[in-house]
Amino acid sequence: MAAQSTFQVDKRDVSFVLYEFLKADAELKKLPPFSGMSKNDFDMVVNEAAKMAVNTVAPVNAVCDRSPVQFDKGKVTTPAELKAAYKAYCEGGWLGLTGPSDFGGQDLPGVIGLATHEFFMGACCAFTMYGGLTAAASRLVFHYGTGEMKKTYLEKMYSGQWQGTMCLTEAGAGSAVGDLKTTAKKSGDHYLISGQKIFISAGEHDMCENFVHLVLARIEGAPKGMKGVSLFLVPKYLVKGDGSVGAYNDVQCVGIEHKMGIKGSATCTLSFGEEGKCQGFLIGEEHRGIQYMFLMMNEARIGVGIQGTGIAAAAYLEALRYANERIQGTDIEQFKNVDAPRVPIAKHPDVRRMLWTQKAYVEGCRALLYQTALWADMAQFHPDEDERNKAMGMLELMTPICKAYCTDTGFKVTELAIQTFGGYGYCQEYPVEQYMRDIKIASIYEGTNGIQAMDLLGRKVSMKGGMYLMTFLNDLNIFCDQHAGHPVLGNFVKNLTETKDKLAGVTMHFGGLGMSGDQLYPIYHAAPYLAFFGDVVIGWLLLRMAVVAQEKLDRLCADNCCTDDDTKRKLCADNSEAKFYDGKVRAAKFFISQLMPRVLGYEQAMMSGDRSGLDVAP
Amino acid sequence: MKILVTSKRVTDPDMKIKVKADGTGIVTDGMNYKVNPFDEIAIEEALRIKEKGGGAEVVVVGIGGKDAALEIRSGLAMGADRGIHVLCEQAVDSSVVAQILAKVYETEKPDFVIMGKQAVDDDSNQAAQMLAGALGVPQACFASKVELAGDAKSARVTREVDGGLETIEVTFPAVLTADLRLNEPRYASLPGIMKAKKKKIDEIPVASLGVDTNPRVKFVKMTEPPTRKAGVKVADVPTLVQKLKEEAKVI
Ligand SMILES: Cc1cc2nc3c(=O)[nH]c(=O)nc-3n(C[C@H](O)[C@H](O)[C@H](O)COP(=O)(O)OP(=O)(O)OC[C@H]3O[C@@H](n4cnc5c(N)ncnc54)[C@H](O)[C@@H]3O)c2cc1C
Repeated sequence: MAAQSTFQVDKRDVSFVLYEFLKADAELKKLPPFSGMSKNDFDMVVNEAAKMAVNTVAPVNAVCDRSPVQFDKGKVTTPAELKAAYKAYCEGGWLGLTGPSDFGGQDLPGVIGLATHEFFMGACCAFTMYGGLTAAASRLVFHYGTGEMKKTYLEKMYSGQWQGTMCLTEAGAGSAVGDLKTTAKKSGDHYLISGQKIFISAGEHDMCENFVHLVLARIEGAPKGMKGVSLFLVPKYLVKGDGSVGAYNDVQCVGIEHKMGIKGSATCTLSFGEEGKCQGFLIGEEHRGIQYMFLMMNEARIGVGIQGTGIAAAAYLEALRYANERIQGTDIEQFKNVDAPRVPIAKHPDVRRMLWTQKAYVEGCRALLYQTALWADMAQFHPDEDERNKAMGMLELMTPICKAYCTDTGFKVTELAIQTFGGYGYCQEYPVEQYMRDIKIASIYEGTNGIQAMDLLGRKVSMKGGMYLMTFLNDLNIFCDQHAGHPVLGNFVKNLTETKDKLAGVTMHFGGLGMSGDQLYPIYHAAPYLAFFGDVVIGWLLLRMAVVAQEKLDRLCADNCCTDDDTKRKLCADNSEAKFYDGKVRAAKFFISQLMPRVLGYEQAMMSGDRSGLDVAP
Repeated sequence: MKILVTSKRVTDPDMKIKVKADGTGIVTDGMNYKVNPFDEIAIEEALRIKEKGGGAEVVVVGIGGKDAALEIRSGLAMGADRGIHVLCEQAVDSSVVAQILAKVYETEKPDFVIMGKQAVDDDSNQAAQMLAGALGVPQACFASKVELAGDAKSARVTREVDGGLETIEVTFPAVLTADLRLNEPRYASLPGIMKAKKKKIDEIPVASLGVDTNPRVKFVKMTEPPTRKAGVKVADVPTLVQKLKEEAKVI
């Protein structure tokens, strides 16, 4: 067993978001596959996941970092502690959480799966990727594979015995997946695959008995670009008729990367068909590989978003605890008094600013991700078609924001967590510096954040003639109108209204430029546009949560006969629930008044018309 | 074979407990609850005995309001076979618990009972002993090791006592209690949790058991433990020794 870790999970906020805010239990009841499940069931799952994450997974995080996976002669070795934890994780059935019960999964809703993933990602991102990739590959096989494939592979995958991977990237085909060179040649009932894939997570290791690679390749003679790409299932070892592992299938790991973070995750270069004997089995139809990948993309991108928020949440909780324990300096108001008592750094205004910034981003992103995952469940299973369509629209629109905004702000949070610790944060004695290195990859893979921004501005905003955007703005309008007169939050709601109008204004402006043939200028601003959009979404979610929290806080105050500010403040100090709700309200106010105003700068930049950075590269 | 185990819903021992200003109890706003950790060890032991073979049935009993079903369900998720929920809204003390369990025992007729040695909320450490007394059966409390005899009609139990370890033999039926070192309880697996949804929990209203539920222990008042006074710094070792002798009177 690895040493205990200091990792914590915020079960209180997770429970607030799921039940008090999203009413996920009631919403999921309306979806036939989940109608028999209750809050108690979800609680039990989430609680067990938290236990597993804290006690079993988190202790391997530092181990993964200090003893990275090793490569030697085609074999990848993982640390023993990682192996032991992975075994417990697989045996506990966590890999199949949202998988179909016909193949060893548990049929749980995506939003509950996401909550457990927040814990696991925060506990150890490198660890959680192994199971996450297998689950993602399994989902693809489940949706598009033949009946035979499902029977042969899925159960072994959901139990963790076989590792699934996603093989898209090649040396010459990263963001431009359509440029890939791996080929497939028809040969009887299968294809012969030939080519090299790089950066393949979990592509080779010593924790499973077989690999199920999902490989994008071009069938000989197929059209160039995305439209000529097909998807193949390529096992490392062919599977015998009785389901057992058979002959080697000419898939070789020729090296691994040495990385900035997630060092426990094997990032492999895989060579397919060096001896001309690598068999691949077509998934779905020829030339439609990219389409299948796309249909799985929303889920995968939300999955990377939760990686960002899971790690950021862990870093924030470390910083919060440290700030309350670390004694340094005196109260600013007593700076001349050398005998003044020394105080925890959480007393200092700048530290408080850092902590609230972290909290606001983490809790805002958590709400966004859970909400979007719930929309994904509804888009798939709601009995009412209109509800399904509406959820689908929100899911499409929010997916690039989930991916890019949650990972960018997540990185920022880990950086602030280090800053909160001061010099200690820079040292390996504390976990925050590792969090910052580990989280960085999340803004790069699964479509870089630059690609996400273009997806938002270039595709999602104008999808269905702009209908998805209109639906979102309409929901926002309704909220703003309803709460403009809120006694505590009214002014913040008005602020959000104005910011939302600015977002609509910039969007119109860009739309106009696009129509007049200038695509470049808007695309040049895609990344700040996504940040702007994200701030409006997060502001909206934080305020909606604050409305719920304020109501509960008022009730607690009334129950405890607190009528004036003094008694209320005392209640918030003494009663953990009052403190929690007060924290939700403050986080929303802080975000709207302190963080969201950065969009004014973005707006100014976007409306400036200046093209000096666009016309040439430096 | 049938084994009866208990699963009490207790306040999460890892949370900070605050006593209400009027001393009538603790502040329960935002309180988390869980299975009494000693009961978890008892459940684990029953499951291990079952898994060794012999086809034992493990039945989990909980006493309490509606919510107490959650902790029974946790026991089922770990792998117990069915549950019994004695619905009882009012507060009970150890002696009432023992009487209720005695009634359950009479209908269930288990080979033996394993309970946690105490519950981490009240720390009374009495219910099991009182139950054994009420039933007139042997007891083996604070077990750190339980070995069933080949015929499963008795057990050799290693007990943690003040002076060290004591090994005794009890013939069944008997009441055992689990101490901390008996085992390390498993986590419920995800399939275990989902399967537990389909397992049966019988609800028995406490009134139907014909037990006098009036507590024998009167609850008077609850207070926070006094905060520790700040220490004093002494100039040198001789002063320390002197103070330890004269003021603290420890040497
Ligand atoms: C640790 C790790 C794990 C990975 N795991 C996997 C895996 O399991 N499977 C897999 O298939 N891949 C995996 N990848 C690959 C990853 O998805 C790619 O690195 C990513 O898609 C970017 O491709 P690239 O590295 O070639 O960068 P490039 O595509 O060369 O991009 C470089 C920069 O240019 C920008 N850029 C590129 N094209 C455009 C454009 N058209 N418009 C605007 N900007 C553009 C990008 O945003 C980026 O900032 C992994 C990578 C790493 C590092």
